[in-house]
Amino acid sequence: MAFTPKTAPFSGKINAVTLGTGDKAIVIGGQNVMPFYTFDAPIENAPKIGIEISDLAANWDAPALKEFYAGCTTMVDYAKRAETMPGADFLCLHFESADPNGANRSVADCVADAKAVADAVTMPIVIMGCKNIEKDGELFSKIAEALQGKNILVLSARNEDYKTVGASVALAYGQKVGAETADDINLAKQLNIMLKGLSINPENIVMNIGTAAVGYGFEYVASTLDRVRLAALAQSDADLQMPIMSPVSPDAWSVKESTATEEDEPAWGSREERAIDMEVSTAAANLTGGADAVIMRHPAAIATIKKFITELV
Amino acid sequence: MALKGLDIFKLSPKKNCKECGSPTCMAFCMKVAQGAVSIDKCPYFSDDAKAMLNEQTAPPMKTITVGSHKLGGETVLYRHEKTLVNKNLYAVAVGTSLSAEEADKKLADLQKVDYERIGERMYVEFVFVANTQSDPAVYAALVEKAAATGRDLVLECWDVECAKAALAVAGKNVILDGATPDNWEAMNELATANGVALGVSAGTLSDLYDTVKKLEGKGNKNLVLDVTGKTAKETLANAVLVRRTAIKDGDRSFGYPSIVNIARLAKGDDHLQTAYASMFTEKYGSILVMEHMTYAQALPLYGLRQNIFTDPQKPMKVEAKIYPLNGADENSPCALTVDFALTYFLVSGELERSNQPVNLIITDASGMSVLTAWAAGKFSSTTVKKTFEELDVANKIKNRTLIIPGKVAVMKGEIQEKLPGWNVVVGPLEAVQLPKYMKDKEYEAAAKAAAAENAAKAATTVEVKELSFDELLATKVPEIKVVDMGVKYKGHNPESPTFVTIGERIHCIAPSIRKAMDERDPEPILKRAAEQIAAGATYLDVNIGPAEKDGPERMMWAVKLLQENFNNVPLALDTANKRAIEAGIKVYNRTNGKPIVNSADAGSRISYIDLAAANDAICIALCSADGIAKDNEERMKHCHNMLERGMSLGMEATDLWFDPLFLVVKGMQDKQMEVLEAIKLFSNEGLKSTGGLSNNSNGAPKTVRPIMDSALVAMCMMQGLTSAIVNPNDLRLMETIKSCDIFKNHVLYSDSYLDL
Repeated sequence: MAFTPKTAPFSGKINAVTLGTGDKAIVIGGQNVMPFYTFDAPIENAPKIGIEISDLAANWDAPALKEFYAGCTTMVDYAKRAETMPGADFLCLHFESADPNGANRSVADCVADAKAVADAVTMPIVIMGCKNIEKDGELFSKIAEALQGKNILVLSARNEDYKTVGASVALAYGQKVGAETADDINLAKQLNIMLKGLSINPENIVMNIGTAAVGYGFEYVASTLDRVRLAALAQSDADLQMPIMSPVSPDAWSVKESTATEEDEPAWGSREERAIDMEVSTAAANLTGGADAVIMRHPAAIATIKKFITELV
Repeated sequence: MALKGLDIFKLSPKKNCKECGSPTCMAFCMKVAQGAVSIDKCPYFSDDAKAMLNEQTAPPMKTITVGSHKLGGETVLYRHEKTLVNKNLYAVAVGTSLSAEEADKKLADLQKVDYERIGERMYVEFVFVANTQSDPAVYAALVEKAAATGRDLVLECWDVECAKAALAVAGKNVILDGATPDNWEAMNELATANGVALGVSAGTLSDLYDTVKKLEGKGNKNLVLDVTGKTAKETLANAVLVRRTAIKDGDRSFGYPSIVNIARLAKGDDHLQTAYASMFTEKYGSILVMEHMTYAQALPLYGLRQNIFTDPQKPMKVEAKIYPLNGADENSPCALTVDFALTYFLVSGELERSNQPVNLIITDASGMSVLTAWAAGKFSSTTVKKTFEELDVANKIKNRTLIIPGKVAVMKGEIQEKLPGWNVVVGPLEAVQLPKYMKDKEYEAAAKAAAAENAAKAATTVEVKELSFDELLATKVPEIKVVDMGVKYKGHNPESPTFVTIGERIHCIAPSIRKAMDERDPEPILKRAAEQIAAGATYLDVNIGPAEKDGPERMMWAVKLLQENFNNVPLALDTANKRAIEAGIKVYNRTNGKPIVNSADAGSRISYIDLAAANDAICIALCSADGIAKDNEERMKHCHNMLERGMSLGMEATDLWFDPLFLVVKGMQDKQMEVLEAIKLFSNEGLKSTGGLSNNSNGAPKTVRPIMDSALVAMCMMQGLTSAIVNPNDLRLMETIKSCDIFKNHVLYSDSYLDL
């Protein structure tokens, strides 16, 4: 009795969402199979990699990372350099310094940076805020306005601010909006329903279903990814068929494995190598679970994940 | 799917003759399913049924044991469906193509990674020894060296003579990864003769399947499948298809653990190997073979593995001990929190960010978060005291400042009392506030104040001896005044089949009730009681909180207050303080029904059954031990354990009210039908049941909750639920219950049945 594997695509399909414009525009999503299950059906669009550029990037002290961005001082410098990084598909501008409890940089300054970057680069742009609801609301709206026509993605609208962020970013300025929830499939579905309720087209929504570095409660991320994907594909749940973008680097670079000095943990070896492997493992685990795009930081980690994706699709 | 005790039960004679030694057929079938007794103990099972069971009791995927390690044995494809059972293990590859020095170095290096993370030893469990030449002596020499590391071995060797020589020196904890479509007969004999597991590989899945069939035909089911293909893409396809065929399609010929040779897929690229290993941790690799295992790779990979293979229904716990942070020593202050892993990571991370030396003391709270543990009595001054004694904190640390979580500020006084030498300080509410709190040394002033208070108290306090219930009643329980609340409890016949509602609203988690209990202020309590009785509650639950200090007099007061005011309304006594329950029963009037002890479980609270038995009370019995039962098999096991205990102590079976534990829809939607099935199982055995039904709609909008609760109660009553702990002031719910009692023919219909 010969073995014939049972293979078949699902009837449900992930929405294909376009980011950016022109030659460098990218499409994420579009597949009707579990991640990398090419034996069930071809993967429509390979997962994409975004390069994190923080306005606090001057503090990054990993030697090879510093070396890559040597001589860069402005966000524009960083962005132009990042565009040359092998494996880069899009850029993620991370306005950490806007945090009122931190540097409290003004919205106007951040918008000026975003505008300057958008004028200088051709890759699609994703915006990340500082996690302060009020500040992000204003920042997102102003950046979306300043970058009209660029088809950017703003991460993210949350349960607390989806009305203002969704209405300004997606409705008023025609950009793509992220829907961010924390490892909870019911909240993820609810937020998508609410965004659709504002008359935002589902093709303009991308999800961030929650993040964690591996080893730090990643089981919640993994199971949420599994469940969201199975609902979207096996149950054709249209409220969960949005593609998923996972910001990997902020978590991966802030856990002890990546931050402990070599003096503190002599057995562990090179701190930069540890951070790279932490970033690689977290990104690979997210992609295996269902992320359609990951946001990363280190050139070596990005080259690795690019190879990983190429080999598997 | 593996066969469950309940499936066996369907085929059983259902005579309950007890000839097998078990009290019921159901109990017997449960034991058979667990492998505790042989089915042959029952003289009445038909041969056909037995043959069918033997075929079906085989799990979909074999568990292969190598040394102390278990591989495979999975029953689901995704961890949220139930749980993954056996974590993937790591091997580092050496081979005959390496020089002796290279091999020695790799064998030495692979032993360097060896550490503990959340109670689990993290190390390279296997050495993968590849043979690519034909001299048996050469291979045996390398295998001998590999065996000397003390790690278990995977011998990748397709040459029969070399394999023979290797097995002679390899010991018993070995997988012989050598069978192919060409040599399987000879390798099978070798593996069988040596009693080791046999690894099988082939160029295609079809050939692999055929070879496994042939080996199974020879009676060998001690197999591992090497699914490594030519590319990562092909290997993922193999790993997924093999696992899916076994678990989803139930074809046991692919129901074996897998070997994935990542070293071969990404030779020379450690980072890419990390990426692949992460993928195969999630997708169905059992042994992952790496070229190296550095700390940089191990830290994320073992962390990921630990996450993926945690049981979704059991919280991840860290060890209860003193964690000195930022170079803390015996003179550094102490901070206290619970052993829930996420709490630990959050709190220790924030404390580390403060850069201030501090001793973080983790106390055993069954892996629950701070507030959950407090409410369940798992994080109390008693448990803290126990931890301090077990860890010998007082002798190890000289500093006497103890910072407790802000969320349990209410525990300050009790902890202070139990740990008299310490200055207890209430810390911030949220972990993110810790760095500032520590840096600004906000605790110092509070510690000073606590010390002064302690000194003042020490000067005045005298030892008091524990008073008997009668003495307490005479001296500590205020006299009860009967107030006319305009509501009369209309009585309850314990024999009536109608649904029993236990009103849940007198609960210490409500601030107004907590305050009223503390101050022995009758009014707020009587008000809530009157509302619930007016709404038709059968019983009232009285939750007095953990009440470690004055539990007995609190409970006596509450029981007398409620019963004397409301025509001896029957009560459920709800607290972690057992002496308080006993005291409450002492003053309890049974006119309208026995008191209910709320609650026992099959784990640390099993002795509440003894308490109920000794006091002729009803006992709510939670069908769980350590966390939520993973399936009905486990629920029923707990149910029968508690039933046996209660009956051996002379209880009536109907005085144990089994609680399946209602689960929240937002989060455990896919488990709802299982809970409903559990109720049916209780009912089939003639057992009574109850539970906190409204937990199902926790977190749902207020407008939706009554609708969900009503729908669920109707489904539950159809399944045979006999009682529930509910909010009787939910009109929709109460009307649904009354209507269901009509359909169940428990109450004779009249047009105004809702008003009765």
